Amino acid sequence: MFELICNIALFVFLGYTYFTHVLEAKVPKAYIKNPNVLYPSTWPKVIIILLLICIAVNVYKIIKKNKGNPEFTFQAFGKNTLVFLKSRMFRGMVILFVMSLIIEPLGFVVTSAFLMFAYGMLLGEKKWWRLALIAVALGILLHIVFSGLLGVNLPRGTVPFLRSFSLFLENLV
Amino acid sequence: MSLGEMFVSGLSAVWGGGSMFLMVIVAIVLGTIFGALPGVSATMAVALGLTFTYTMGPVPAIVFLTAIYCSSITGGSITAILFKIPGVPSSAPTTFDGYPMAQRGEAGKALGIALLASAIGGLFSAIVMFLLSAPLSKAALAFGQGDLFAITFLGLSILVVLDTEHILTTIISGLLGLLLACIGQDPMAGVARMTFGQNSLLSGMEMIPVLIGLFAVTEVLKQTSAKKRLSAEDGVAGSKGRVNTKMPTLKELWGIKWVLLRCSVVGTIVGILPGAGATIASFMCYTMENKLSKYPEKFGTGIIDGIAASETANNAATGGAMVPLLSLGIPGGNAAAVMASALALKGVQMGPLLLTNQPEYLSATFITMIITNILMVIVAIGIAKVFAQILAVPYYYLGPIILLLAIIGSFSEGNFVGVSVMVIAGVMGIVVKYMHLNSAAIVLGLVLGGMCESHFARAFQSAHIVTHELNFGDHLAKVFGALFGNPISAVIMTACILMLLSPLYMPFVKKLRKAK
Repeated sequence: MFELICNIALFVFLGYTYFTHVLEAKVPKAYIKNPNVLYPSTWPKVIIILLLICIAVNVYKIIKKNKGNPEFTFQAFGKNTLVFLKSRMFRGMVILFVMSLIIEPLGFVVTSAFLMFAYGMLLGEKKWWRLALIAVALGILLHIVFSGLLGVNLPRGTVPFLRSFSLFLENLV
Repeated sequence: MSLGEMFVSGLSAVWGGGSMFLMVIVAIVLGTIFGALPGVSATMAVALGLTFTYTMGPVPAIVFLTAIYCSSITGGSITAILFKIPGVPSSAPTTFDGYPMAQRGEAGKALGIALLASAIGGLFSAIVMFLLSAPLSKAALAFGQGDLFAITFLGLSILVVLDTEHILTTIISGLLGLLLACIGQDPMAGVARMTFGQNSLLSGMEMIPVLIGLFAVTEVLKQTSAKKRLSAEDGVAGSKGRVNTKMPTLKELWGIKWVLLRCSVVGTIVGILPGAGATIASFMCYTMENKLSKYPEKFGTGIIDGIAASETANNAATGGAMVPLLSLGIPGGNAAAVMASALALKGVQMGPLLLTNQPEYLSATFITMIITNILMVIVAIGIAKVFAQILAVPYYYLGPIILLLAIIGSFSEGNFVGVSVMVIAGVMGIVVKYMHLNSAAIVLGLVLGGMCESHFARAFQSAHIVTHELNFGDHLAKVFGALFGNPISAVIMTACILMLLSPLYMPFVKKLRKAK
């Protein structure tokens, strides 16, 4: 059922994109009047049309394949969704989304320590204090190695004292 | 530049005053460890290796990534033999004979064969790559825009034939990749397309975060829900985590000489095909050798022929994958696609002109592959000795560390959008899996999309049918002229169409064959 819903959602989204977002700015006049250049919307529109056809066929195939399957109902889908929402994979996704939100204000050191700690706990480490120590140490070490030694750009954060701390780490080497 | 001059230029590029050579050794160690760790594929190893290349120039970057790529494929055989768990998917057939040998107490011998066969396959394909890439790119220079479009399109169409059980979903995946590549300003007029108001998307979809998300983050998410993860306790009984690799005798090597030769050739050819890669090469060669063997019944019971077939083929595919990348700008596999993105990030224009204007890319890659394939044997022997310590790193540390490296890799250009794109791509990788889509096809479509559209637009522009008012018929005539206007593109496009339509006519062909 999940496969079917995703295919239908993709179909609707592509249909919406076709009519509203393929071109988002005016095409230069030189292009409109010239019959020998490819119009900017042609290529994506052809791809979307082909995709819509293929997805429609795929939806038909999924329905045909699952006819009579007791798991192929909205009730079963609801149950499976609840199971997924309680799964470790979903919690992992939430941790990643939180990480992507806090990385700009808090910077790499704090974010990496948070990610290492939260994900490590999720994956089954029971000694939280050891994990916390390693998470902080690793965040600092990676910042020093990549930002200080290798010159890779890493976020310092917008919170003043965290930014100063990142700069301090970079200047250590 | 002659082949001799290219060889010397490659040597000087890789030596680079010693620092570059040191970097290659670091890459080999990293690659072998990444490859040996279950759950870290060769593509993921290359994607994580990107993190280290941001401050390097384009040539050192490709040298570093090539060394990681080759050695990670070899590293995968260590866990395949000792744990029956392939470190990389292409080492899966190695488990069939490697693990039974290890159980018999011949783990050292199995590892020796695997390492030597890997080196032979890798060296063979590196030489083929060196000899084939330059003439191929020179030939491609004579191609018109329509021909170049046809070749790029061929790269995508081959994927459909390779995954015959999921043809429709593979086509959908390839098209999705092509559509993702359309996001941003169009290549000819510069008009914004499908950005949904996000200014950060105007320059197009950031490829590296997408690749890191699809290959690294998705894998960690999958492992998060896995019921059982690998631990050192799963190792071969009696090995106590230490194995002394034993190199095969000359007699043993002579006995498998045809296996090594055949699998080197087939592995290289499979590697050249876009999307095929090391995994298909190793399975194909294992099956082939089983059928050609004088003692097929012994395959799977622990014989050196099986290990040699699989490991020669998967390493031979590495050199093969670099041929279309360096000569035509078309990646021969996922890892090559990551390398193409890394070079694109550094402003390198991939395509036939690359080797004509900058032959050092080919010579440096060739020398790196030669050095890597020799040195990785020594490195892998060392790693096999201490593999228990490496594998003793529990996944609750390894998984988050992979994610941290992924963040560093995605934040390449100081852009927070990259991190968000990586997370979304990682989650989408899970959705892609449940939708039975093909992530390799999505990546290939994404990497080749821009090139495909530009070639097509130029071919359309130069098609010799000029009218003042284009109606639908004129449009079709112009498209037909662009794609079938000359013999090369006409032949390739016909082949592509036949491949893409194969799901429609193949059932009838099979019925006809059965009826006969």
